[in-house]
Amino acid sequence: MEALAVKNIIKQFPNVLANDNVTLTIEKGEIFALVGENGAGKSTLMKIVYGLYTSSSGEIYVFGKKEDIKTPEDSIKLKIGMVHQEFMLIPRFTVTENIVLGDEPRKGFLFDYRRAVKEVRELSDKFGLKIDPAEKVENLTVGVQQKVEILKILRRGAEILIFDEPTAVLTPEETQELFKTLNALKNDGKTIVFISHKLNEVMEIADRIGVMRRGRLQGVVNKKDTNEQELAKMMVGRDVVLELPKAEVKRGGEVFSVRDLSVKNLKGILGLKRVSFEVHSGEIVGIAGIEGNGQVELVNAILGFWKPVGGKISINGEEIKLITPYNMRTKGMAYITEDRKRRGLVLPFKARENVIMGQHTLYPFSNKGILNDREIDAFATKKLQEFDVRPPDIYSKAESFSGGNQQKLILAKEMSMKHNFLLASQPTRGLDIGATEFVYKMLVEEKKKGTGILLISLELTEIMGLSDRILVLYSGEIVGEVTPEETTEEELGLMMLGLKRKEKVVQ
Amino acid sequence: MKEIFYRIFVRRREKYWWMNILVPLVSILLALIVGAIFIKSTGRSPLLAYKLLFNASGLIPGPYWRSSFAEMLLSASMFIATGLAFAIAAKGGLFSIGAEGQFIIGAVVAAYFGYAKPFAGLPAIIHIPLILIMVMLFGGSWGLIAGYLKAKRGIHEVIVTIMLNWIAFELIEGWLVPTGGPMAAKVETGVSGTPYISPTAKLPIILHNTRLNIGILIIIAVVYFVWFILYRTTFGYEVRAMGYTAIYNMEAPKVSGINTSKRIMQIMFLSGAIAALGGSFIVLGILSQYPPVFEGGYGFDGIAVALIGQNEPVGILLSGILIGALRTGATAVQIARIPKTFPAIIEGLIVAFIALQELVRYLLFKFLVKSKKSSSVTEGGVK
Repeated sequence: MEALAVKNIIKQFPNVLANDNVTLTIEKGEIFALVGENGAGKSTLMKIVYGLYTSSSGEIYVFGKKEDIKTPEDSIKLKIGMVHQEFMLIPRFTVTENIVLGDEPRKGFLFDYRRAVKEVRELSDKFGLKIDPAEKVENLTVGVQQKVEILKILRRGAEILIFDEPTAVLTPEETQELFKTLNALKNDGKTIVFISHKLNEVMEIADRIGVMRRGRLQGVVNKKDTNEQELAKMMVGRDVVLELPKAEVKRGGEVFSVRDLSVKNLKGILGLKRVSFEVHSGEIVGIAGIEGNGQVELVNAILGFWKPVGGKISINGEEIKLITPYNMRTKGMAYITEDRKRRGLVLPFKARENVIMGQHTLYPFSNKGILNDREIDAFATKKLQEFDVRPPDIYSKAESFSGGNQQKLILAKEMSMKHNFLLASQPTRGLDIGATEFVYKMLVEEKKKGTGILLISLELTEIMGLSDRILVLYSGEIVGEVTPEETTEEELGLMMLGLKRKEKVVQ
Repeated sequence: MKEIFYRIFVRRREKYWWMNILVPLVSILLALIVGAIFIKSTGRSPLLAYKLLFNASGLIPGPYWRSSFAEMLLSASMFIATGLAFAIAAKGGLFSIGAEGQFIIGAVVAAYFGYAKPFAGLPAIIHIPLILIMVMLFGGSWGLIAGYLKAKRGIHEVIVTIMLNWIAFELIEGWLVPTGGPMAAKVETGVSGTPYISPTAKLPIILHNTRLNIGILIIIAVVYFVWFILYRTTFGYEVRAMGYTAIYNMEAPKVSGINTSKRIMQIMFLSGAIAALGGSFIVLGILSQYPPVFEGGYGFDGIAVALIGQNEPVGILLSGILIGALRTGATAVQIARIPKTFPAIIEGLIVAFIALQELVRYLLFKFLVKSKKSSSVTEGGVK
């Protein structure tokens, strides 16, 4: 029996055709994955089903009946629920208050909190989602917050559950937990739509997979008839080199080093404890570790946002006394951030304004403080072409680009500044396959040019594939230094969990 | 001139750039309509009221146009100054409501350098620029206090600027100007407030037989200066980047190596200097002294002016003239038995509709852009 069907959906945004004649049927009781690169239109399609967008044309059928969905209220009535990438929870409210918000049990005119707690407890028992109804949401981890979101839509009687990239914010353990929940919901007869661009996850959880590319549905395949390579090819439209290109480059002199660096985080806890390492020219040093083990402290200390409580940071052998982004950059640092929207770009600025940020005071972009539009335009046009930013419109605002193209904009900006040390903090986070491939190629190019690269990443494959040396960070300490040749992902995993230590490689 | 227009309108390269002009215009129109409903509901004639208001406002040629036109620009010059002061801070992501205090600082400094002995004897050509420079230095420094505390100590600029407003007010009207105060005129002269400024300090009149002086020309030059700073210089580029990322703690500009704390202090200095310039106009052009009781409010009205002008220099020039016109025409509406505070209601309504501009924009977009598009789509479908 079909749970949800869309026919000939077209969605036209001012500049792009987000959905181009999409026809799709989702069966009741299956986990249907919708994969595609960022900007392929998969989220848009589901937002149309949920009523957040209205389609330009096309029809939606829910449980076989044609429905006119204009707002989320309509879709909730039709038993469709959606868990968004960004949670819509109120941090100061308790779990119970968040779950019943908008449809509260009442006693006369008053909110019946006790009954609400009881309802939430029954609900969490019924679906096996363990949760403390009285806890405040601000005290919960992201994984548990997601459970609250799921319970919220289940309470409204959702039969069709749409998950918009639910694993993007989760740790691997939390992801496994979520998959258990999804399977339980499926066994309960619910229909699940799972939007993702992570192929390994899709292969693990989905029954059927729909692949989207540039607004079109490329095809629907059964999981058992396909593999990751084939899916990647459908997504990108060509063969993708998923293994990473290695380049043998002779290691040069030291370009960056930290000595006994200790940093306190915002909670006042020592998040980085007497860490020492150095990066040489032509070398990629990978920092592996589970999120929250000192990566943020390290990056913020290098940028000068958080003052270290002890230790030294040097670039090209010169100790930087007053650490500010400006001083670090003038000494030769470039920085790729995972937080594109906050740190990487000024979103309402046009592409042309973003690519010169940081070098806007230099000739020829400005002369005696006055901007030279012609030079900026020429430079931006060249850079957007060189880095294959799409669309190559220098007058588009940064916020109108997709995630991958935003990252390319950042690369274009950072790589055109003079540097011989590159701090790359999770450079592929949230990127699709095509953009990830681009970033890898670029990192290898930089290495060939003799740049020393500090690569901080949560993805083990990335660390293993690119690094010449790997440092493992666990609760603010370096617990191991290995080379990718002599170690395995399992061993790294043990070190990341703090279960194993490894001596420094004797050079 | 052509170059300027090209840069303002064409270089924007936004598809619907005309929306930025249409939305404020529609908001003003809506405010006038709602205002008419108010008048009608009290049994008076809205048409008569508006006729009286606009005939006396200086916007429309008619009898006594010359003097009302002059009065309109005279008050507009002050509204534009405080509007620009708010806008330049807002562009940099700072919510400065200190224009009121900076305005009266400017007024009192202008009065002092206007009457005080060694300066009062100077020829006008030296005296006036000297006063204006001192006014901007003092006003800028007053703004800089808030900028310094924000940049170095992280204290929110709203709190500091509110407190500085009161400090300025109490310093001037509680200590400097009242009888017996350091700046008060001698009792035997019979003048209350500060002494009158020397004739060499008065701003030259540019329209014969009116009070319209070079203040309006100065402020138009400042409008161009602010536009140039914001859109043509690296300084303005950095300021706008900071304003856009203020909700993210200005992380992106900081990471790019921009010294945000230095810029915050510079913006606040500039903002204070421009507000104080407005304050000097009222002393040098209208009152000729700092009176014992100062009718203020220009600083706070500046926020409304900046909102209506969308924080854009050219927009503020126009909205400042509009508010100036409404104030000038205010007394005339009394003939229709409407209180002269009525134009303030119109002002409030305009601000309210500007605050609702996303809705206005959405509706306009729906009516003007979508309707065109959907008709073309159905045409295509028929074919």
